[in-house]
Amino acid sequence: MIELSPILVTLKLATITTLILLLIGTPLAWWLSNTSSKSKVFIESIVALPLVLPPTVLGFYLLLALSPDGFIGHLWSYISNTPLSFSFAGLVIGSVIYSMPFVVQPLQASFEMVGKPLQQAAYTLGASSFDTFKNIVLPLSKRGFLVAITLGFAHTVGEFGVVLMIGGNIPEVTQVLSIIIYDHVEVLEYTQAHYYSIGLLVFSFIVLFITYSLNRKLMVRI
Amino acid sequence: MIEVNYKHKLNNFLLDVSFTIPKTGITVLFGPSGSGKTSVLNLMSGLRNDEDKENNSKFILNNRVIDDSVHRIRIEPWFRNIAYVFQDHRLFPHMNTKENILFGYKRCNSTLKPDDLIKKFKIEELLGHYPEQLSGGQKQRVSMVRALLSQPELLILDEPLSALDYTSRQELLPYIENIHKELDIPIVYVSHDIKEVLRLADYILIMNKGKIVDQGDIADLCISQPLLTQEEGASFILEARVTKIIKEDKLVQLDCGETILITAESMQLNDKIRVLIHARDVSLCLSPPQDSSILNCVPICVEDLQTDENGKLRVIAKIGEQTIVSLISHRSARQLNIEKGKNMYAQFKATAMIK
Repeated sequence: MIELSPILVTLKLATITTLILLLIGTPLAWWLSNTSSKSKVFIESIVALPLVLPPTVLGFYLLLALSPDGFIGHLWSYISNTPLSFSFAGLVIGSVIYSMPFVVQPLQASFEMVGKPLQQAAYTLGASSFDTFKNIVLPLSKRGFLVAITLGFAHTVGEFGVVLMIGGNIPEVTQVLSIIIYDHVEVLEYTQAHYYSIGLLVFSFIVLFITYSLNRKLMVRI
Repeated sequence: MIEVNYKHKLNNFLLDVSFTIPKTGITVLFGPSGSGKTSVLNLMSGLRNDEDKENNSKFILNNRVIDDSVHRIRIEPWFRNIAYVFQDHRLFPHMNTKENILFGYKRCNSTLKPDDLIKKFKIEELLGHYPEQLSGGQKQRVSMVRALLSQPELLILDEPLSALDYTSRQELLPYIENIHKELDIPIVYVSHDIKEVLRLADYILIMNKGKIVDQGDIADLCISQPLLTQEEGASFILEARVTKIIKEDKLVQLDCGETILITAESMQLNDKIRVLIHARDVSLCLSPPQDSSILNCVPICVEDLQTDENGKLRVIAKIGEQTIVSLISHRSARQLNIEKGKNMYAQFKATAMIK
């Protein structure tokens, strides 16, 4: 019957990934929305890459990077003395990269919508740039954050290709919902596949419905 | 002392300005749109874009160095203590009026009492409203209170009325006039609306294509600077007080040293106003005519004669303590034998531009 562990692993992965993405994505989106640096387009393109790249390509390179011989994997095992490939931590790294545009883009768009004029007004009233960010930009970007959080979370839940490449399908560690559906279908256990699939379908629809009704303008764009 | 020097490359021309601002009163930065007025303000307030690297600056505000490119000094905008009222109100949409006006107040050691300004700008009723619930004029009033409560050393107003309709503008002008009467801070006011300028300005800087082309007191500049009044020949200003309102003729009687009549509506008794008169509308005569349609005829004393760029003669004379200018031909001058020190009469119609 239905196992609980893939659901828990999936929720844990999506939650941690979203939190990390908020920590990295917020300053990155802030920088992108404010900079006039020439590297802006370069960084924007890199952030948007997972939108167009087949997950298998991303998964393949991550697999290489996370392996004990790879750069990240080597560094990780040096620090923590555990391998990174086929681990939950590896999955989080993959998800963070894979879901990055779904968090950064709505944030960047909403920061840009707040716009320079209000920030300038705050500056002339004695508010420093951090003060302005905290008291003007953040409160006015609430919707952007809501969209970023829901999209980042939902996209991580729906991730398949990358997980397949780097996760290893280890029950209770890296086995997520999308993978277990695949496993059930492969052995023709359609009933179980249905349970998980319907659940994911309804979940995804609700998330998108909420997001779209909040604000279309903040949706992901390529 | 407020000293401003900026050399700065803009997209299509070089901004090169150097001026001092009087410590009191309203200094108007006047010029056509695209002449670089807002760029000057953005440089002064520190809001210029970072990509504009090439520049040469020195800005001293009350003995405090704000910008000095030679010594690589650039004070961050939030430490400058220069408040800015923008063309678009720029109120924070997620804060109500009270939170908006206290934003700057909380961030400085202000000795002002918010209640005083709230009363003076008549925004008591609006304190709980959000910006989207306010009219254009109300927004700009709130925006002014917000700027003033940060107790700035310099207040910048960048065309604060240009986005408003005529009625709101008329309603707001007295508030701006009162700012410098009640709070003793220098004000830089940007405008390309001559009526606003005539009404508010004490000192004028005229800008064109990134340069200050002329500067001086309003009364002097009106005479010498056609760029200001956009009229051929000279114009002059008479400061006057309304002494009588003649409703049936749509006239007001003014005291400007002599008594004159001017076409005007919506004036109050004892209003202090400025009247702009074009020199070409003023004619001179040796004795007051008995049967003329022209209502105003005042005694004057000729002080100076100048030939202007079109070969016309500019007769500069005194009417009481004030200056009056008449533009006539050399021929007329010879016929009337006009010379310095001569007592004559000046005639002009009751129509004139009023602040």
